[in-house]
Amino acid sequence: RHPLATFFHLFFRVSAIITYLLCDWFSNSFVACFVTILLLLSFDFWSVKNVTGRLLVGLHWWNQIDEDGKSHWVFEAKKLSTAAASSEAEAQIFWLGLIICPVIWTMFFFSTLFSLKLKWLALVIAGISLQTANLYGYICCKLGGQKSISRTTSFVAAD
Amino acid sequence: RRAPQAGRAALPFLLKRLVNTQFADLADMSISEDIAVEGEITVPVGAPSPDEDFSTLDEPVRETIMRDLKAVGKKFVHVMYPKKSSTLLRDWDLWGPLVLCVSLALMLQGGSADSKEDGGPQFAEVFVIIWFGAVVITLNSKLLGGTISFFQSLCVLGYCVLPLTVAMLVCRLVLLAGSGTVSFIVRLIVVLAMFAWSTLASTAFLADSQPPNRKALVVYPIFLFYFVISWMILTFTPQ
Repeated sequence: RHPLATFFHLFFRVSAIITYLLCDWFSNSFVACFVTILLLLSFDFWSVKNVTGRLLVGLHWWNQIDEDGKSHWVFEAKKLSTAAASSEAEAQIFWLGLIICPVIWTMFFFSTLFSLKLKWLALVIAGISLQTANLYGYICCKLGGQKSISRTTSFVAAD
Repeated sequence: RRAPQAGRAALPFLLKRLVNTQFADLADMSISEDIAVEGEITVPVGAPSPDEDFSTLDEPVRETIMRDLKAVGKKFVHVMYPKKSSTLLRDWDLWGPLVLCVSLALMLQGGSADSKEDGGPQFAEVFVIIWFGAVVITLNSKLLGGTISFFQSLCVLGYCVLPLTVAMLVCRLVLLAGSGTVSFIVRLIVVLAMFAWSTLASTAFLADSQPPNRKALVVYPIFLFYFVISWMILTFTPQ
């Protein structure tokens, strides 16, 4: 039902990985590759967090700061109606994309470390952090949603 | 998008007010102020259901993007005219710091962009210095008992790199004109002014979250952080 969202969910992540693997073919410049991959990772983080999670699986997580300065992480899970059961495939694509890419970046981390191409390390660490953050946030949403029987649940964790 | 506050903290206060107003006529009734009320309110978060709001994918996404862009723009303006404003801090985001960091790192690299040895390590160095430095300062202020949250502090420190990015731009332009003593003095003055601006802007936001006798302990790492960045800017010479 949301083909565009599914496409974009995978597009930025997969492009970042492909660019990282093939950067020597695209351009000789380390800086151009670094900036491109970083921008792709940032766009991916933003779109998965704000758009595709809501559309594909009905989950949303964010950080909220009260008036007295305390910050809370809010995890929200919407119970999908039965009409949305047909988007089972989209949910599977969502979770597969969410889980596989951090694993791939972790493999890149070890390969960078052991081949001593250390100038890429900052980028790989950034990639791992951004993608793992999304994965962790959505897992918390999912677990929080399963614990409750009400239609709309929100699980608040203090920072 | 922003949920109303969970009402747990507000519940005792609300009940006290309710009780006091309802029973105000009963002159002899005195309500103890110490009624301890425990309770839970889970406020259903009013996020739009997926079916209704996103029937056309483009429109709401565009709204989200515009809202985020406007928030980033507002923060840039706030850095240029720093006043303590708690509403600014509440909506933190890290896009501004990312953009500033990338532009500063791009401007700080010296060689030609086409060779393989094109200042790659310098680029990643600037990146690491800025982000790692910001994380260390945030940890420091949290360990000293600051009330500001981790990402808010990163946000403020990142945005306050803006004056130094402007200084870098000015320095590169000045260096196009020549690299003698005069240009050095001009660059020195510009960098010093922007460094002071950055430090003052960030302490205006960050120092207030500390108890008064610890302000200096929080301010000096910020001073060092911007000093290192200013040093990198001042000692930059194109090849």
